[in-house]
Amino acid sequence: MKRVTLYTLSTCPWCRKAKKFFADRNIPFTFIDYDLADEATQGKILQELDAAGATGFPFAKIGDEVISGYQPERYASALRS
Amino acid sequence: MEAEPRKKALRYFFAKVVEPLGFKFTPDADLVDFLLEQEVMLEGKHGIPFCPCQPVRHDRARDMQIVCPCIPFHREHFDAIKRCWCGLFVHKDVIDPDSLPQLPPKDVGRE
Amino acid sequence: MSDKFIPAISTDAIAPGGMKTVELAGHEIVICNCDGTYYAIQRRCGHMNAPLEMGTLDGKIVTCAMHCAQFDVSTGQALSGPVPADMGNETLPPRLAAFMQHVGMQMKHVRTESIRTYETKVEAGWVHVAP
Repeated sequence: MKRVTLYTLSTCPWCRKAKKFFADRNIPFTFIDYDLADEATQGKILQELDAAGATGFPFAKIGDEVISGYQPERYASALRS
Repeated sequence: MEAEPRKKALRYFFAKVVEPLGFKFTPDADLVDFLLEQEVMLEGKHGIPFCPCQPVRHDRARDMQIVCPCIPFHREHFDAIKRCWCGLFVHKDVIDPDSLPQLPPKDVGRE
Repeated sequence: MSDKFIPAISTDAIAPGGMKTVELAGHEIVICNCDGTYYAIQRRCGHMNAPLEMGTLDGKIVTCAMHCAQFDVSTGQALSGPVPADMGNETLPPRLAAFMQHVGMQMKHVRTESIRTYETKVEAGWVHVAP
């Protein structure tokens, strides 16, 4: 089972959809709401986003794959592969 | 500030800004309402209505690029996906906003 | 029969989108021409009392020139508080820095209140206001 980590914002509806995608399929995931995190964590999240060329949230890490934006089809294929 | 009058004011200001750029408010009224509500909250917190779906970095030069409407700072990217990142605005000809995926710049060749 | 309305200003004294201050019965009042409809508001910003006629009027929304608080001139409702100033990256001289910190500490407790509006009517080419 691939490890799923989400970086999200508490204010973002697409982030809610991303969380719901995995919750609805009973896929365990962890998430961090960037806006509610401490400064150090925020810095680390920004580094990962910048490295991946991502400008916004949600940001999903499924195994080794990184997906920027709410993209349910890519989530599904990343989980399968 | 009270949310409803402020949301109304933001609608008034934003419509005037995005129209000449070729955008309009998304036809998804519930999404507009939710996002504007978040922006009013962010404005209350930071003094500025930031995009509810992009990070506030506490670096003024970069944070100015996510002040709503942030379309001018992401023109090529948003024109390619026909929507802004959080989906508050879409291209004028869009009738079915649900069909517009949320793709990052590199997925549409616009780094 | 006493009329609460006092003639305040001629209708051609304010261009559409413009604002002008009058003083009536001891009240400082700003008259706003919103595309031919006239509204009257208190002159003093509900944030820190700056003169609102020095701000900008867009539709029915006035933005204060001092810290950019916004109000609906038809209802007086406060729409937004001040916008944080950009102090830039340069190091300020110590006394100025201390002063700015002192002011900033107090300003963060200042609330932006809705402002008073006054009834208006237009008659014979004059805007009348009930102060």
